[in-house]
Amino acid sequence: MGRNAEPQPSRIVAISPDDGTAIDLRNAALAAVLSWAVPGLGQLYQGRTTKGSLFMAAILTTFVLGLWLGGGKVVYASWKPGDTRWAFVCQAGAGLVAMPAVVQSAKLLGPARQPLLLNGFMAPPLAPGQYVSRSYADRLARHDADIRPDDFFDKPPLKQFRRDQLAQWHRQLGKFFEIGTLYTMLAGMLNLLVIYDAWAGPLGPSEDEKKRRAAESATTTVSTAATEPAS
Amino acid sequence: MEATTTLTLTTVMAISPWLFETPLLGSLAGRVPGIFFGLPLVALASLIFAATHHEDPAQIRLATVHWTVWLGGMLGMVLAAVLLLGWLQ
Repeated sequence: MGRNAEPQPSRIVAISPDDGTAIDLRNAALAAVLSWAVPGLGQLYQGRTTKGSLFMAAILTTFVLGLWLGGGKVVYASWKPGDTRWAFVCQAGAGLVAMPAVVQSAKLLGPARQPLLLNGFMAPPLAPGQYVSRSYADRLARHDADIRPDDFFDKPPLKQFRRDQLAQWHRQLGKFFEIGTLYTMLAGMLNLLVIYDAWAGPLGPSEDEKKRRAAESATTTVSTAATEPAS
Repeated sequence: MEATTTLTLTTVMAISPWLFETPLLGSLAGRVPGIFFGLPLVALASLIFAATHHEDPAQIRLATVHWTVWLGGMLGMVLAAVLLLGWLQ
């Protein structure tokens, strides 16, 4: 099952760059999808448990740490004019752990006008003039220290926000908004390398490739020295 | 299934304020200069880069150290150049 297992003919096999043993990648496409869904899960499926556990611990810890540093507000999906959250494209690379943001955004902009999780976890910030459900507005006014009931115009059956929640978040979190965003983005981007590793095996050159490069390098050095004029 | 979903959502709603608004940890993080928040990212990038290039744990450790020194050195030089430019102005 693991890296030393006898490969089956129908399976894709990679070569370990360290000792030249075969690595059974099993269903490489499925492994890649699994590694996107949960970082390292594809490697665990392939029996590469050390690397799988390492990837899972490192990437998920960084993502959660970034989320915590950013007060739980730095991962959100928004494609509104003026607040296009391009950082989420990178954050989505971390897999399912970022997907609540998509659900929250879709629900908030949908007919219900409120996120699925009413505490606003991973929901996009409210823009000035944005309509939300009365229950979400009331909950924000009760639980968010920066939002008061008179921050909403009463427009039955909805309420209309009249301030800029993103500006509030920046003021509240300061540098931690950017630091948290950076951590979560980097976790997502590094997971792309993990996905590639699950799909195609290790990126490092094999022993044969290293020997070939060393031989080429030696040949080039010798020929350069031979063609140089004597001083 | 519905009960499980409700339980999961309730748990997330219950723990998220505790998880993300812990005053003690927040104040501790606030005392750390911003530059130090980059160090774990250098270590993480080196670790992931090393682990995607090797299979053997010993080789992964060696390559992690190699990449940490290389990446840290490069970023350190950029930081030194920026600080020097700031000092010269």
